[in-house]
Amino acid sequence: MKRAVRLLDAGRSRPLPALALVLTLVAAGFAAWAGQDWYRAAHDEQAAYAVQRDAALSAGEQAVQNLNTLDHRELNRGLDLWESSTTGELHEQLASGREEFAAQVKEAKTVSTARVLSGAVTELDDRAGRARVLVALRVTVEAADGAKTDKDSRMLGELTRTEGRWKLSALGQAPVGGTSTG
Amino acid sequence: MSTTRHHINRQRRRQARETRPTPSTARPDGTERTEHPVAGTRARGATAVLESAPAPADDSPTAKAPKAAGKAAGEAAGEAAGARPCRRPPLLVVLCALTVLLGGFAGWAHAKAEGLRSEPARSNTALTDLARTSEIKGQVTKAVDRLFSYDHADPGALDKAAQELLTGKAVDQHRELLADVRERAEAQKAVITTTVTESAVERLDGDRARVLVYADQSSVATGGKTSATDEKSKAGAGEEAAQDEGVYAAAMLAVDVVHRDGRWLVAALDTFGR
Repeated sequence: MKRAVRLLDAGRSRPLPALALVLTLVAAGFAAWAGQDWYRAAHDEQAAYAVQRDAALSAGEQAVQNLNTLDHRELNRGLDLWESSTTGELHEQLASGREEFAAQVKEAKTVSTARVLSGAVTELDDRAGRARVLVALRVTVEAADGAKTDKDSRMLGELTRTEGRWKLSALGQAPVGGTSTG
Repeated sequence: MSTTRHHINRQRRRQARETRPTPSTARPDGTERTEHPVAGTRARGATAVLESAPAPADDSPTAKAPKAAGKAAGEAAGEAAGARPCRRPPLLVVLCALTVLLGGFAGWAHAKAEGLRSEPARSNTALTDLARTSEIKGQVTKAVDRLFSYDHADPGALDKAAQELLTGKAVDQHRELLADVRERAEAQKAVITTTVTESAVERLDGDRARVLVYADQSSVATGGKTSATDEKSKAGAGEEAAQDEGVYAAAMLAVDVVHRDGRWLVAALDTFGR
């Protein structure tokens, strides 16, 4: 009697490990799929490029804003920021012209505040670490007598990646008038 | 590895069953013997264990197996049922644990992948989708050139451009922006030409995009030279650059475009509050 029950038990319990095995295999299948999906998402070249583009743009906007912002009362801080936002030739220009420029601003007693209206990347060479950005800027200049003037600037910036960070290597205004004025 | 253990376990169970009815006299019954070779053919390695020729690798557990079986049988036949859960669980538990672990990993990895994919940087395909980016730049450049150019001799061209290229609130925005340009051009009999000098796609998400545009606007007075200069000096407006070739003005604007019927239409114009 007992033996019969036991045999019955054995007969009934065999599907259980089988079922567990099937479930495990299904889980393994899901795990493998999810794992490779994750791997592909993490190593997506397009995504890496997009991340670089956004990094270049935000660094570019910030740097352009920094370079158009200067308070005569906090000259050193402002000019330090200028130098830390730039690299290459532009950096050298700023560093060499610093004394002269500081004297001018001190004399004029102006406070310039820039605000980025809009910005976009036109070119990005991910490997070479070079990018070109357009930044639409509104600069408010407060003169010594408190008069404020707004001026819109169409900036063209070139960025170079140095030690993993994007910095401005060239900055200028978009020329007006094309060939006619030249 | 797990399969051999599985077999060993099964053998132990079977052995326990066999020895139970006659614990003292041990196995040598004809009936039970017949079962042995069957088991032996199914799992050769495990039979060797039963024949008390211990495999070198599984030395200790196999040596104990007959003893443990005998003990279990000797203690109480009724408790054999209780002994079973002790032996079966390893396999089931291992499988269940594996299932949970693998399932957990699958869920976690999926969440990670989704998290990566939903990064805002990825939904913006400006520049990553180069073909579409340059297509947008090309069409927006042409659209802005047409929408902000005006020839007093051909006023219909602007209306046509507006009809073809604008949609939504851009229609009203464009009319407002161009109203006084049109008036001035009529008064001066001027030709206003807008040329996009730079453009860049800020963001591109499916069939919507935003483009930053730098443009130059030149106005050239036509019709009788003298009258043109007269008009200019009257309307003067303090433009120092008033040369014969015209007056240049720098403009910058952001344009929202939507993709419709294979073309990009201007849906909104942002002149940054100017």
